[in-house]
Amino acid sequence: MKKVLLVLLAIFVLITPLVAQGAKEGPKYQTLKMYTALDTEEAQYYIEAFEKSTGIKVDYVRMSSGEVAARLEAEKSNPQVSIWYGGSNTDHINAMSKDLLLPYKPNIDFELDPAFHADDYSWNGFYTGAIGFVTNTNFLKQHNLEPPQSWDDLLNPVYRGQIEMAYPYTSGTGYTAWATIVQMKGMDKALDWWQEFDKNMHQYTASGTGCIARAGLGECAVGIAFSHDIVAKGINEGYPLVMSFPKDGTGYEVGGISLVKGAKQVTEAQIFVDWAYSVEAQNLFMKYSRLPVNPKATVAEGAIKLSDITLIDYDALAMGLAKNEYVEKWRDRIGK
Amino acid sequence: MSKYSTTRTQRINDLKKLAKEPFLLISIIVIFYLLILFVIYPIFQVVKMSFFYDGKLSLKNYADVLKQSYYIRPLFNSIILGVLVATIATFIGFVFAYGVTRTPMKAKGLFRLIATFPIVSPPFVVALACILLFGRAGIFSGVLGNIYGLKGLTIVEVVAYAPMAFLTLIGVLQAIDPALEEAAMDCGASRIKVFTTILLPLATPGIVSAWLLVFIQSLADFGNPMILSGDFTVLSVQAYLQITGMFDLARGSTLAILLLIPTVVAFYLQKHILAKKSYVTVTGKPTSATIKNLEWYIKYPVYALCIFFAIVVIAFYGMVVWGSFQTIWGVDSTLTLKNYTTMWRVGKNYILDSLYLSAIVTPITGILSMFIAYLISRKQFFGKNAMEFSSMLTFAVPGTVVGIGYILAFNTPSFLMPVTLTGTSVIIMALLIFRRIPVGIRNGIAALEQIDPSIEEASIDLGADSSMTFRKITLPMITPAFFAGLVNCFVKSMTSISAIIFVVSGRWNFITVAILGFVDNSRYAQAAAMSLLLIAIVLIAMGVIKLITDRLGKGMQTILIE
Repeated sequence: MKKVLLVLLAIFVLITPLVAQGAKEGPKYQTLKMYTALDTEEAQYYIEAFEKSTGIKVDYVRMSSGEVAARLEAEKSNPQVSIWYGGSNTDHINAMSKDLLLPYKPNIDFELDPAFHADDYSWNGFYTGAIGFVTNTNFLKQHNLEPPQSWDDLLNPVYRGQIEMAYPYTSGTGYTAWATIVQMKGMDKALDWWQEFDKNMHQYTASGTGCIARAGLGECAVGIAFSHDIVAKGINEGYPLVMSFPKDGTGYEVGGISLVKGAKQVTEAQIFVDWAYSVEAQNLFMKYSRLPVNPKATVAEGAIKLSDITLIDYDALAMGLAKNEYVEKWRDRIGK
Repeated sequence: MSKYSTTRTQRINDLKKLAKEPFLLISIIVIFYLLILFVIYPIFQVVKMSFFYDGKLSLKNYADVLKQSYYIRPLFNSIILGVLVATIATFIGFVFAYGVTRTPMKAKGLFRLIATFPIVSPPFVVALACILLFGRAGIFSGVLGNIYGLKGLTIVEVVAYAPMAFLTLIGVLQAIDPALEEAAMDCGASRIKVFTTILLPLATPGIVSAWLLVFIQSLADFGNPMILSGDFTVLSVQAYLQITGMFDLARGSTLAILLLIPTVVAFYLQKHILAKKSYVTVTGKPTSATIKNLEWYIKYPVYALCIFFAIVVIAFYGMVVWGSFQTIWGVDSTLTLKNYTTMWRVGKNYILDSLYLSAIVTPITGILSMFIAYLISRKQFFGKNAMEFSSMLTFAVPGTVVGIGYILAFNTPSFLMPVTLTGTSVIIMALLIFRRIPVGIRNGIAALEQIDPSIEEASIDLGADSSMTFRKITLPMITPAFFAGLVNCFVKSMTSISAIIFVVSGRWNFITVAILGFVDNSRYAQAAAMSLLLIAIVLIAMGVIKLITDRLGKGMQTILIE
């Protein structure tokens, strides 16, 4: 029976510090503690490159960006991490408004577009992507159609039960699409438009990227998602898909990176931010077809540039702050 | 002396006895601490969260949720789905059990194997197979119409959970001696009369119990609806989305409580019925006698249904095997091994993490649950009932509720746990252990109740202490139950998803989460490859555990029913 207790104690006492602390690395740098909102697989790809390149070890936990924001707020008095890597800038802006971030102007050799950073550099944008349509080419051929060129094209009855996208309340992608419509039309007209549009929906998915391969498989005809995901998870996978953008304008996201107020590894976090802007790091985006912000970085084949498409004047700040209200209005009307 | 003072004297005596065994006392305290920390506290946090709004005690969350159709509908949907699945699955389970125990069916072993196979696979593999078979790019595309919704969900949950009904009911039917029925027949009763007046009444508690078990499983199911629910929203998924999508812990918790209520009611009823008329025991000697001159109009429909269900199970899992070798499911059907290499490259960490964590928690769960079972059935101490109740609590609570509770409880340090556990392996191990101990404890108590306590008393009278007695007397006698518990724990740990999905992190992840991720990105071929690997791991582990047990020369009953 003593053994029983010993095993118990050993597990609960010994393993806690072991995993909570992580292995200590060389004397020079501390282990950088991070929350990331990128997909685990993708985050791991970048972080391993960073560790290799700088010798700084990173301890990261993956969460949705809304969850990161909430966590930072809960830990305000005793921050557990120094850096927040990835996730839509709307959520970073939200955190900035709550005074949770530590400004840092990245040490880079190019001009960063003012839309891609906070005025005081509380958050910085390190990639971008626009909302686009992804359409199954077989479906287009069958119905003798062009890929949709405007939001209203999606109201065509030929698409009845054929469109998929994420719920605005479960995914940043879904919310950006909804916020885009709201900004373009105003809330009342946006709700009317969506009610009409909803008739063509096959189903809403939980994740923003789910609809892409489903369109590729013919489970639906059209998906609405971010361009980088469409290319990386659809077209490059070999699915019969084509990407198009609404000519009347579309919304976009900026992927944010921020230092956390009260960070314990400021130096390491700053090194990480600078690295994230380096040509080396930005070239890694090719694998996931994100649009780099460093002009010297190579753009992935098939990925479009923001300058090639019509963007609305997307107010990430207002959309970030009004998220709960906008989502409730959507759910009240659409009932899903 | 009044009754009150008797119990009081007894309690004082108990305390005195405990004081003589400091080790026992410390163990009890440690176990209570762990149960409070990992069982009570998280559930309490969910309840608390649902009753607070803006930091104040309030019913506003419930008012908000109950007035919105999009929150209420999932509640009804979950219940409708649960009733449908439980009814159909119990019917199939009963017919199957009848076929195996009562008819001269051929290849019974094979049928049993097929009928129980879905239990060792993660339940949502069936949903994956359903898409492969009946999706728009599937082999039988369009045969069932749109599978995303109630129809598809009912089919996959029946396939996934009918085995549970079957395992419950086969125990029941085996415990009812066919001689009873034969005797009635000899006395001139018709087959129908015998069935309705003998078999059915005797089996009713078991049937109701199986129905409720499946109902609970269906309510708690997360993986299948996550993949297949379409617009047919169910509570477990909605609660998850509310939290991961909006980080709305208050309403997520409220939805979780709504999910908890029907489950607890069903669980209470099940316990109640079982307590009254327990036929679901393995104590009775199973009889292998079948009814020889069974009428054709009973025999053939039973055979037909058994064969049909077996074909369905084979088709579903066969489809997963077939799908795992396709280049891109539905687009490019060139056969390839690429999915296995991709799956391994992308998912290696997920697979190794799950193996590592499950391998650690399995023996801990086994030992801890036997120890608690021993304390509950053999020792007298203050708070014994509380210990029994709290250790069994997670059995009835849906994984979604537990997962949310763990987020709330361990996101930040608390007075019970001074460090943040979120993101560590400890939170995952604790979750797995305390999700699984109820089955182990139940099996342990059942085993201990078959051993006369006087044997242990004799040992103590002869000078051995509790520790020695436990090791030398009790432990060897409960070994079969112990190993059955190990199998159950390992299988369920490796294949669990509903609670695990809340506590995984970049550092510690889980194979089922990876499979769900593949499905989410419609990488069905890789999802199929990884599911097969998972099933293979589970089967190998079961084989290894069985081998060890056989070597120890003990008979093992594989009790897999939850």
